[in-house]
Amino acid sequence: MSPLEFLADHTYRTVFIGVSIIGLVSGALGSFAYLRKQSLISDVISHAALPGTLLAFLAAATVWQGDGRNMLGLIIGAVLIGTLAVGYANQISRGSKIRIDTAMAIALTVFFGAGMLLMRIIANGPFPGKGGIQDYLFGNASVMTRADVVTSALVGGAALAIMLLFFKEFVLRTFDAHYATVLGYRAATVDTLLFTVIVIATVIGVKAVGLVLMVAFLITPPAAARQWTRSMPAMVALSAVIGAVGSCLGAYLSIAFVPVPTGPLIVLTLFAIFVLSLLAAPGRSVVLRAVKHARARRLLMRELDTVAVEGRAS
Amino acid sequence: MNLTLGTMLLAVVSALACSLPGVYVVLRRNSMLVDAISHAVLPGIVVGYFFTHNLDSPLLILGAVLSGLVVVLGSELLVRTGLVAGDAPQGLVFPALFSIGVIMVSLNFANVHLDTHAVLVGDLNLAAFRQLQVAGTEVGPAYLYMMLAMLAFNIVFLVLFHNRLKLSTFDAAFASSVGLRTGLLNTAFMFLVSLTVTATFNAAGAILVIALVVVPPATAYLFSRRLDVMIGGTVAVAIAGSVGGFWLSYALDAATSAGMAVFYGVLFTAVFLATRLARSIGRRRATRKLGAQVERRMPATTD
Repeated sequence: MSPLEFLADHTYRTVFIGVSIIGLVSGALGSFAYLRKQSLISDVISHAALPGTLLAFLAAATVWQGDGRNMLGLIIGAVLIGTLAVGYANQISRGSKIRIDTAMAIALTVFFGAGMLLMRIIANGPFPGKGGIQDYLFGNASVMTRADVVTSALVGGAALAIMLLFFKEFVLRTFDAHYATVLGYRAATVDTLLFTVIVIATVIGVKAVGLVLMVAFLITPPAAARQWTRSMPAMVALSAVIGAVGSCLGAYLSIAFVPVPTGPLIVLTLFAIFVLSLLAAPGRSVVLRAVKHARARRLLMRELDTVAVEGRAS
Repeated sequence: MNLTLGTMLLAVVSALACSLPGVYVVLRRNSMLVDAISHAVLPGIVVGYFFTHNLDSPLLILGAVLSGLVVVLGSELLVRTGLVAGDAPQGLVFPALFSIGVIMVSLNFANVHLDTHAVLVGDLNLAAFRQLQVAGTEVGPAYLYMMLAMLAFNIVFLVLFHNRLKLSTFDAAFASSVGLRTGLLNTAFMFLVSLTVTATFNAAGAILVIALVVVPPATAYLFSRRLDVMIGGTVAVAIAGSVGGFWLSYALDAATSAGMAVFYGVLFTAVFLATRLARSIGRRRATRKLGAQVERRMPATTD
């Protein structure tokens, strides 16, 4: 299928636009999690999004008798519970000798377990529109509707706007936390805001890509972008571009050639971009570095040889 | 043995087999690595199935364990390049491997009929269904005996390497200075973790196996200051949590592993809050005692 035919199809176009928005937002905001060395927090968030969306579904279906699959409601539920899970993990590591990696593992698996219990309760209950709720596990980009895309664009756009508005504060807090505090920025406020936008960037993609693979959308583009850039604005911009382009490319490949799920193929595309960056980025390239090392070693050996020869001659 | 009892025993044995290596996982700060390993075994299982067509084959298990180790070694490689920061390396490798696994399952490669749902949460009841028959009588789920073997293997490994693991966990620099090959030991230990995760995969799936490995040792770590106390506490929490979790999911008619994860979480949170409370009471009492001492030494002047 040619790219033009691909874009002419309404469903494919929706998927295309949807995943590029997800890639753009998560690429940009993932940069902050990456530089704070807490990339895996997005894995905790995406797993905690499951009970969040299911609670929102239950609330919508029982209390308001409305459509349980309203995207905005699901996003709000996921953001609330996702933030709760991040807070839970941070509280554990701050309030005991348990370190953050274990705290994150506990939050991830316990919240996910609760989600699986809720899913069973929903599956057994008489709720309208409960079909498709299991798509959250692996994601299903092809069930995205135009309303979903609009909602993701609005919520993701709001997260990006917050990031641009507080860019200076976020960067300062990321690179020099103590200096930020000395200057009078409240650490707790900046952190809450930053983690909230990271939570938003994570949950808007869960429906399309699934909760297991969402973490790759927040880690891989920043890790690739970091190899090419040396300043924060450049890294965030390039990471967003890599996220968007990688998602589009992956979506196109998954639909046009072999019928495979979109999410996994996007993840592999992003991973390929990352490996390419490791190999090819100027200044940090693994290949160039190896060549340079080999040359330096040869030079040193030659020098040592001449010294030895001269020493013997004298 | 009836099915309920067999399933409950299976839950307890799986919990014990996972939580014992978990003690060192928590202490060595490898908790999130279990998350990565448990996802990365999926492509190994699919490829192994392609060659063996038998989900219980040892070759398949070996393939899964090796693909679990790819995450460990791959992220170590990325760390060594010095180009990737923080905890990102493992987060880069495991989604890629898991994606390969999902794509292979969806292309119906190897005709493996893995329920994608079961990949994530497992199904203990299904795992317990096939009974082992000895001389014509059913002696409980076949899977139970496999997990018992896994438990025994873990115990033997941990007893044999107890001193070496302890040394390299608490003082890695000293361990390598006295000639311990810490890198090799770490790989061997990760092999053990990967093997345990693979063996438990049927019962708990990729995500909830993390609960079985990490939560009981973390709970015991909250209240222990010595390694042997922590190991004892881990065993107690694993047994209590798996029995409680089994009945919780039985009551809710849900997957046993999900009920166990939630029940573990409740136990952990309760112990966490209790230790915090105990600490703040202790601190207040100490402050009061200190205040009284100070007052006795310097009686307040009355004029």
